Amino acid sequence: MGLAISVLTALVAPVDAAEPKRGGSLVYAYLSGPGTLDPHVASSIVELEVIHHIFEPLVAIDGNYNARPVLASKVDTSADAKVFTFTLRKGVKFHNGKEMTSADVLASFERYRKVSPNASVLADVESFEAPDPLTFVVRLKSPNAVFIDVLKSPVYPFEILPAEQKDKAAREIDIIGTGPFTLGEWVKDSHLVIKRFDGYVPDESAPGPDGLAGRRTVYLDQVRYNFVPEANARVAALQTGNADVVGDVPRDLAKRFDGQPNITTQKIFPYCMQVFVVNSQAPLTNNPLIRQAIEAVVNVEDIRGAMGQISQPGHSLVYASSPYYQGDAMKPYYDQRNPAKAKALLKQAGYNGEKIVLQTNSNYPNFRDAILVLSEQMKEAGMNVAVDIVDWTTNASNMQRGTGVWNVSTTGYCSNPLLGPQQWKVMFYTFPQVKNDHVLDAAYDAFYTSLDPKKRVAAWADIEKRVLEQAYMIKIADMGTMRSFNAAKVENFEPYYLVHFWNVWMK
Amino acid sequence: MLRTISVRLVQSIPVLLLVAVLSFILMHLLPGDPAVVIAGAEATPAAVERIRHELGLDLPIWRQLLSWFFNLAQGKFGSSLVLNQTVLSAVGERLPVTLSLAALSLAITLPIGVALGVVAAYFRGSWIDAAVMMVALVGVSVPSFWIAILSVILFSVTLGWVPSAGYAPLLAAGPGPWFGSLIQPAMVLSLFQIGFLARMTRSAMLDVLDQDFIRTARAKGVSEWRTVGKHGFRNALVAVVTVSGIILSLLIGGSVIVEQVFALPGIGRLVVQGILARDYPLIQGTMLLFGFAFVLINVGVDIIYTLVDPRVRYD
Repeated sequence: MGLAISVLTALVAPVDAAEPKRGGSLVYAYLSGPGTLDPHVASSIVELEVIHHIFEPLVAIDGNYNARPVLASKVDTSADAKVFTFTLRKGVKFHNGKEMTSADVLASFERYRKVSPNASVLADVESFEAPDPLTFVVRLKSPNAVFIDVLKSPVYPFEILPAEQKDKAAREIDIIGTGPFTLGEWVKDSHLVIKRFDGYVPDESAPGPDGLAGRRTVYLDQVRYNFVPEANARVAALQTGNADVVGDVPRDLAKRFDGQPNITTQKIFPYCMQVFVVNSQAPLTNNPLIRQAIEAVVNVEDIRGAMGQISQPGHSLVYASSPYYQGDAMKPYYDQRNPAKAKALLKQAGYNGEKIVLQTNSNYPNFRDAILVLSEQMKEAGMNVAVDIVDWTTNASNMQRGTGVWNVSTTGYCSNPLLGPQQWKVMFYTFPQVKNDHVLDAAYDAFYTSLDPKKRVAAWADIEKRVLEQAYMIKIADMGTMRSFNAAKVENFEPYYLVHFWNVWMK
Repeated sequence: MLRTISVRLVQSIPVLLLVAVLSFILMHLLPGDPAVVIAGAEATPAAVERIRHELGLDLPIWRQLLSWFFNLAQGKFGSSLVLNQTVLSAVGERLPVTLSLAALSLAITLPIGVALGVVAAYFRGSWIDAAVMMVALVGVSVPSFWIAILSVILFSVTLGWVPSAGYAPLLAAGPGPWFGSLIQPAMVLSLFQIGFLARMTRSAMLDVLDQDFIRTARAKGVSEWRTVGKHGFRNALVAVVTVSGIILSLLIGGSVIVEQVFALPGIGRLVVQGILARDYPLIQGTMLLFGFAFVLINVGVDIIYTLVDPRVRYD
C-alpha cells in the first residue's frame, strides 16, 4: 500500500522545475577558443573558462574570492608563515583512473616552477616535500603571509597534473586532471567539447558549489564551446537556438533580446577594472607632476559614457567587498575633473607644450574610446596630445615591455583586483614601468612579512595610495560583462566572473 | 602541355622566394612581441624574456631568416608559436573549410555573374542593362561585413533557414548540414564577386558583339541565340576565364572577413589570429602556401585558355 501511494504521488505531483535533471548537452557561444589548455601557462579568460572544468588546484577562490581548499582537505600554516602543510583529500581520481597523491602535487609544483610565466611567485620556495601520500609541504625561505592567496589565483592556476607529466614542456601536456569534466573533442578555431567525468570525487565537506570551490556536481552530459568571434553572430545564435548561453554580449546588442521572455541577461560585476597606465620612464611622464596633471583632468562620467561596455564608477583598486578596501581614502585621486589643478601642476612641472603620446588599439573599442575622450580632456587643460592607434598586440607589448613611444595607455585587469595586493604586484611594477620606487618597495615588503592581517591591510593602503598618488595608474571604472542564456532550457546558471557549468542542468 | 606546366612551375620559384623573403621581413617589421602574447598579460618581464630566448626571437633577424630558409629547404615550414602544432598541420586542418567555401562561392558566382553580364551586354542601354549594373555596383560597393550581419538577421534569426554561425564538416556531419553551414557565407562572399564578374563579362561581350563576325553571322540569318551564345560568348570567354582566376584568388582572400563573422574555422581566420599573435612561422608559412596556390591558379587559367580558344598555344 505504501509503495502504491508513493507511485501515485509521483504521478500526480507537479514536476519541480528546480529539481536537477541529469543529461543533455549545453552549447555555449563565446568569442574565441583557448590557445592552450596547459593550466600552468594559461592566463586568458577563454582558456581559464575551460581549464577550471577539467583541472583542480589545492586551493581555489570561492564565491567571495577567498581561498578555500579544493584538492586539499585542510591547510596548516606555521606561526612564522614559512611552512605550509596541505592534507590532501583521499580517493580523488584523475581522468585516467589513477588516484591522486602528494607525488602528483609535488611534480605539478616542480613543473610549474619550470614552465609557468608566473613562476616568480615561487621564487622564495626552499623545498617541496611529500612525506606521505596525502601530505604535501611547502617550505619558504622567508615569511609570506599571503602564500595561500597566491595559490588560489585562477590565472596561471596551480592545477594538479599526474606526476608522469612533470617533464612535459609548456603547452605539451596531455589534458588529464581531476576536475568534474574531461576534455572531449577540440577543433581549434571551431569548437571544444567537455564531457562529464563520472569518476569525479566531489568535496563532500561542502554543502554546495562555492565559486571555483565547494561541492561541484555535474548534471550535463557535455558542454560544447562554440567559438564565435562576431558579437552579432553570437546574439543570433542564442535567438535561433544554436546556442543556449552566450558570453561577452555588447551593451547595444543586448537590446535585441528585448521582448524575448525566455532570454535572461546577467550583468556580471565584479569582472574587470579599466585603468589608464602612465609610463613612468618615458620623457614627460617620468615627471610625477605631469602624471598627476593627467590624473587631475579625468572626468570619469564622460569616459564611461563613450565606452560600449557596462561599467560602474569605482575609485578603489580593490572592490568594496574586499578586506583590503579602504573606504573613501582613495577617492581624492579619482574622477577629479579639475583642469585648473592640472594647469597649476603643469606650470610647476615646467611644461612647455611638449607632445604627450596616448597609445591605444583598434581591437578593443572601450580602450580606444576611453583614450580618445581622455585626449580631449587633456587638451582642455592645455596639454599637447597625440593619439596613436595601433593593434592590440603592439599596444600590449609596448605596455608590458616598455617599448614604443607612449606616455599613457589603457588596459583592463580582471583577476588582480579580485585577488588582492599579491596579484596586483606584477601589474603595478610592469605596466607603468615603475623602477626604484622605494616607498612602494617598502610597502610591499611590509605586506608580505606582516603576519597580522590588520598590518597587511595597512600595508595595502600604503601601496594603493602610492600607486594612485604617483599616478602610475589612473582608475577609470569597474567594468562588467554581459552573459545571456535561454532560461526556458537552462536551469541554475549562476553569475560568476568565470563561467562554469557544474550544478547547471537542462530543463 | 606538360612541358608548359613544368616551365610555369619552375618560373614561379623566384616569385615564391620573393614572397618568402617579403613575408618574413614584413612580419618582423611589425611592432609587437609574440612572447608577450604567449606569456600572457600577467607575466613578468623576466618570463617574457625567457620565452623570447626559448623561441630564438632574441637572435639577429638575418640568423632567424637563414634558419627559416634552411628548414624550408628540408620541406619544414616550422611550428606555430601559439597553436602547438606544425604550420602544415594547422593549414591542413583548416584548408577543407576554406576550399569548400571558395568552391561553393565560385559555383554561385560563375553562372550568375556571367549570365548577368551577358544579359546586360545584349540589352545594352536598356533598363535591363541599367538594373543589372546597379545590382553589380551594389554588390561591389557594400562591405561584406555589413552584408553578412544583415544576412544573419534575415536568414538565420527571422526566417530560421540556416544556422547563424559554425561549420559542419562534410564527412562527419553529412552533405545537408555541411551545405547548410556554408551556403550563407558563400552567398555573402559571392555578392562582391558576382558584381565584379558581371561588369567584366558585360564589357568583354560588348567588345565581341561589335565585331564584324557577329554582324556577318546575323546577316547570314544565324539565330540570335546561336550568334550571341556560341559565337559571341565563346569569344568573350577568354576574358571571363581570366577574371575567374582573379575571382578565385579574391575568394580565398575574402574568406578572412566572412570566416570571422560566420565562425568558420578556415585559413582566413587562422591568418587573422596569426597576425594578431605575431605568430611568425604560421604567417610566413601561410603566405608561402598562398603564393603557391596563386601560381597554381594562374597555371590552371592558362590551361583553360587553350581549351576555350584553340588559337592560344604555349608550345
